[in-house]
Parts: sequence; C-alpha cells; structure tokens
Amino acid sequence: MRGKGRFEVQACVSVVDDDALVLRSLGRLLRSAGFTVNTYPSPQAFLAQGAGDTPGCVVLDLSMPGLSGLDLQKALASSPDPRPVVFISARGDVPSSVAAMKAGAVDFLTKPFDQEQLLAAVHAAIERDRSARIAREERSSIGERVATLTPREREVLSRVVDGRLNKQIAAELGTAEKTVKVHRARMMRKMGVDSLAGLVRAWTVIRQTGAQLP
Amino acid sequence: MDSHSTDWRAAALSGPRPGPAWFERQWVMPALLLAVGYYLAARLGFAFTLQPHPISTLWPPNALLLAALLLAPARAWWWLLAAALPAHLLAELQSGVPSAMVLAWFASNCSEALIGAALVRAFVPGRLRLDSFRNAGVFLLCGALAAPLLSSFLDAALVKLIGWGHGEYLELVRMRVFANVLAELTVAPLILTWAAFGLAGLRRAPPRRYLEAVALFAGLLAASLVAFDLPLVDANTAPALFYAPLPFLLWAAVRLGAVGTASALALVVVVTIWGAVNGLGPFSGGTPQETARDMQLFLTAVAVPMLLLAVVLEERGRATRDAREQRLQLTHLSRVAMLGELSGGIAHELNQPLTAILSNAQAAQRFLASPEVDREELAEILRDIIAADQRAGEVIRRLRALFVRGETQFQPLDANELVREALGIVHGDLITRAVEVVPQLAAGLPALAGDRVELQQVMLNLILNACEAMSGAEPGSRSLTVRSRTAEGGVQVSFIDRGPGFPAGQHEKLFEPFYTTKPQGLGLGLSISRSIVLAHGGRLWGSATPGRGASFHIYLPARGAA
Repeated sequence: MRGKGRFEVQACVSVVDDDALVLRSLGRLLRSAGFTVNTYPSPQAFLAQGAGDTPGCVVLDLSMPGLSGLDLQKALASSPDPRPVVFISARGDVPSSVAAMKAGAVDFLTKPFDQEQLLAAVHAAIERDRSARIAREERSSIGERVATLTPREREVLSRVVDGRLNKQIAAELGTAEKTVKVHRARMMRKMGVDSLAGLVRAWTVIRQTGAQLP
Repeated sequence: MDSHSTDWRAAALSGPRPGPAWFERQWVMPALLLAVGYYLAARLGFAFTLQPHPISTLWPPNALLLAALLLAPARAWWWLLAAALPAHLLAELQSGVPSAMVLAWFASNCSEALIGAALVRAFVPGRLRLDSFRNAGVFLLCGALAAPLLSSFLDAALVKLIGWGHGEYLELVRMRVFANVLAELTVAPLILTWAAFGLAGLRRAPPRRYLEAVALFAGLLAASLVAFDLPLVDANTAPALFYAPLPFLLWAAVRLGAVGTASALALVVVVTIWGAVNGLGPFSGGTPQETARDMQLFLTAVAVPMLLLAVVLEERGRATRDAREQRLQLTHLSRVAMLGELSGGIAHELNQPLTAILSNAQAAQRFLASPEVDREELAEILRDIIAADQRAGEVIRRLRALFVRGETQFQPLDANELVREALGIVHGDLITRAVEVVPQLAAGLPALAGDRVELQQVMLNLILNACEAMSGAEPGSRSLTVRSRTAEGGVQVSFIDRGPGFPAGQHEKLFEPFYTTKPQGLGLGLSISRSIVLAHGGRLWGSATPGRGASFHIYLPARGAA
C-alpha cells in the first residue's frame, strides 16, 4: 500500500450505496485510511447535494433502486466536475461491468472486496482526478491567455505554430516583417511562453479543448 | 399368531447362510415355530368340535400351513410341511384316530396348503400381501375357495376309504369344505396381514390408534357376546342381533385396515363358535350338522365382504397418500428450481452484509492501530457487524425454509406479511433486475389459514414471472405493483407488471403443465402454483392488456371460511 501522500489529505471520497450498513462500513474504512468521506444513500441524494469542492472520486454501487449506478456515472461524466468512478457491485455480472469500464470507470470491484482492493482503486481514481484537474486547469489558463490576444496576434500565433518564418507570415498578412516580430513577441509574452516548443505545447492543449483560432 | 408372523418376516429377510445345499439354517426357526403353531391350531380345532358326534366347525392347521407357504419361498415349502408332520402326529394320535386316518389327513391337509399356495403364487409371485383388491381376490378364490374345495374331495375319499367317517361322500365333502373355507378366511388373513404389519406397524401407530383399537375390540367383543353367546333373547329376535357386530367390523375396515379387520373377524369367529360349541347363541338348537353349516355360512358371508372392503379402503387410502406425496415432491422440486433462478439475487443479498462486516472489521483494525482509539466508534462498528451478521442469517433462514421438503402445514397467516417476506427474498433480484416494486397493501385484511412456504412459493413464482416478463423493457419502466385487498370475505393479492402481457385467449393455457414462454423454463411454476392455491380453497388467475402488462391474482378465503 502506498503511504499517505498529500492527495489523501486533500482528497474527498464520495460513497453512494443504497444499503445503509454497507454505506457506513465503507465510510469508516475510507476514513480510517485518511480520506475525507461523504456518504450518500442514493444517486438522487448525490445529485442533489453534490460532491463538494474538495477534489476526489466517487465509489458507486452498481445496482440501486430507481436511478442505477450506470445512470449516475453518465450524469457525472457530463457534469462540470467529472469525478472518476470506482464501481462496487454485490452481483458481478459481466455485461454491466463491461458497460461501466467502457464508460470510463477506474475499477469494478465485486462485493465483498478486501480493503487493499478498494484502497488501491480509490488511490488510482484520486490520481486520475488529480491529473485530470491539472490538465483542466492548464487548459483553462491557456484558454484565458488566448482570450487576451488581439485578432492580429492570433493570426501570428496560428502561423508560428504551423512553422512559418516571420518573413512568410509578413507576406501572408501583407505587413512588414518588423511588425510581425513585434506581434510575435507580444503574443509570446501574453501566452506566458519563452520558446517555440512551449508555444506548440500550449497550442496542442488548445487544440484538445477544440478552441478555434482564425 | 402375530409372534409367528414377525419371525417369519425376519427369516424371510435374512440371507442364506453357509451349509449343505439342501440344508438352509434360516428355515429351522420358522419350521419349529410352524410345528408349535400347527399343534396348537390342531388343539384349537379339536376344541371347536361339536359333540356328541365330532363335527369340526373350524380347522385352523390347514390355514396356518397355507399362510406359512404363502410367506415362504417355494424352496422352503418341503421344510415347512416336514416340520408340520410331527406336530400333526402328536395332536392327532392323542385323539384316538387310527394311524392310517391320521396320515391320510396329513396328506389332505398338505394338499390343501400346497394347492392354495401354488395357485396363489401362479397369479401373485413372491410373498403374498393382502394390500390390493387383486391380491385379496386371488387369495379368496384360490386360497380360500379352490384349495379347500379341491382337497376336500381327496379328504372325503380317504375318509371313506379308511372307513372312519359316517355319512354320504358328498356330505363329507360339504362339511370339509365349509370348515376349511372358514378357517382359511379367518386364520390365513390374520397371519398374512400381521406378517405385513409387524412390530414396526405397532411401533409406528400413535397412542390414539391404540385407544381406538381397544375401544373397537371391547365393543366388538360385547356385541358378539350378546349376539352369539348370551341366552338373553329368544330365538325369534336372534336374527336381528346378527347385525350387532357389524358396526364394529365396519369401523375396523374403515379405520384399522386389513390387519384390524382380520383380527376383528377372528374375534367374531372365535366368540361365535365358542357359543355354538357350548350350546349357546342362535346357532345352537339344531343337529350338530345344521349348527355347523348355518354358523359357517353366516361367518363366511360376513368375512368375505369385510376383508375385501378393508383391503379396498386401504388401497384407496394408499393411492391418495401416494398422490399427495407426489404433489409434495413436485411442489418441492419446482420450488428448488425456482431458488436456482433466484441464486443471483441471493448472492447479492448475502454479499451486502458480508461486505459490511469485512469493511467494518478492517476499519476497526485500522482505528485500533491509531494512537487514539475512539471507543464510541468501535462500539458502533460492533453494532453494525452484529446487524449485518443477523441480516445474512435471516437470508439463510428464509432460504432454508424454502429448501426444506415438509408436509403441508396449515397455520394462521397474514397476507401482507407473506407479501413482504416474499419481496424480501427477491429483494436482491428486484434490484439487480432494476424492477421497482410499488406495494399497495391494504390494512385490516382478514387472517388466512395456509402453508406459509407453499403460499410464499406461489408469490415468488408470480414475482419472478413478472420480472422475467419485464426484462425486455426499459429499466426505468420496469415496475411491479403488488396490491392486497379484502375480497369476497377473503384476501385478493394481485401482481401487476408492465411487461408485454400475453395474447388474449392464452390466460388459461399459461396454467397448463409444461407450457412455458421462458427458454429455460420447466413450465411447471404456474401449474403448481395454481394447484397450491386450489388446495388452500382459493383461486389463481391471470389477465392481461397486450403490450401494457399482465396481472396475476390470488384469491384466498379467510381463515374460518376455508
């Protein structure tokens, strides 16, 4: 087992299970391992209360009356806070486990499971949440920077990452090479990068978010 | 007599032991017992002789011999007959009969037993049991009629030949036939039925049955004594009294089976003959020949129908018991098959508490390893572990009740409680099949009387059918309404699903055995469910709106009304 890293202290695990005894026991186990735990007796309760601001993951029972675990997973994935899901099920049938994993679940545990399995899955989920959050933050900060660019600077940006030289850009935009140099320097500063490699990396992130540049 | 017969059983059951081929030790004891029995029977036959001129009214040794042969395999017959010879000689030579006559009678006695046993064996192989109409008929025709008749010609001829008897040849034949037929009817069934009933039958009988038998035989004895032995009434009213033992004989035939009837008949015969021999009762007064003939005809006329009645009633009772046993077996089998369908849900129901127990225990271990132990938290953990364990135990207990094969036991039941228990058993299945249950249970329902397990089986069957029917529907639309209400002085429980329903005109076909719509179905669930509900005095029927769902309804009468 991994030692208590900085993420356990910060991470919050949301447990959703309709069985009160199971819910309480999982809450205790996760708390005993150092996590902050929120418990929810139904998917509806989870949707109503939310997971809170602390980053983390969701431990989700597959079969519950009313809204099922798979339904909640779907709703969660399209929410602004798409936390990774660890599925638990008292009836490990293959089709639903396949569906759960295809929909992006971190793990699928069949009850009764050992603490090692649960904690390993929760750690993996929190790790995934952490990197996803970093990626999201990076994306949004790059997006914010792009937003500060003037139209002309964006035109320069798209051509720089395409590998054009300043002279070619100037010809395309019908302006002087010196002017392009000024735009390029300002654009690089606004984007917070000091090399072409850094700019291309930021550009890749922007492309992933689907942002459009002229 | 009964002690003989049980030894016969033991002898017949024990296997052959080593020894010379012609010598079978297992038949030594039965043969000795037969010899003693034969001697005593002969003494009894002498005691039942009308004076002054000796006319035998009942000659039991032949019947004893026939019964012995019918119980033994053919290869032991010669042993048994040989064993009877010394007893015959000992008994007869005391009575001053010429030696030639004594030996001739032994020959005719043996011939009767052999003819009877061979004829009966030709139709009924193996040990004869008076447990079916056919067997009883074969015994009556071959053993009790043909054998005495055929051997009596030989007997009378030998008597005439040796010159011991008086009277016409045919008169001698008639007297022999009557005496021997009555003996076959009285003694042989007594031995045969007791051999089959045995000590095991006595041990099995409940104390109530003993009390009943004592009352019956006391009443029969009193009635027989009044009718045939006591000079209480004059000869004109006597024929009416002939019927006095009849109620008791019928009682024996209805309640105590062939063994009780054979015993009761033996009692009546002994009491009647004893009266006649001592010059008492309705049969005395004429010549000895007339007395013997009238009495033998009367007793024969009573014994034959009574024996047949007892055997037929016993056979019918056994058929009813067999049918009930088969129904129970079938019910149990279909229940077990249904539990197979439930296994996924059962795993769910057991895995939940197991998860709670394991996680609680592991959390407790971690808490204990931390520097500060929260005793309150630990106490809560232990409470939850106990609760989870009890829940798992409850799941097992409910299942075991369904697995056990038992007799149908009627007890007061609450319909809503039955519904809730059934829903509890399928709880895991309902969740994993994403079926939402809408219970609409009316309060204040009349109490029912029924077998808890069987009625639960019916409800489980209907719930599982409903789940199965809705398996093709969208998960959100799988809803099962379970409704209970008072109806017609009883309770109606309805199971209403949102499946595809079934086509009009199919609602009776569903209940036919082996009709199924499921790929793995046996097609017995609804058929057995209906037979269970019918056995509770209720009804089970289905209705459907094609495309919008099916409903199945159980009506069960209230406790007092069933």
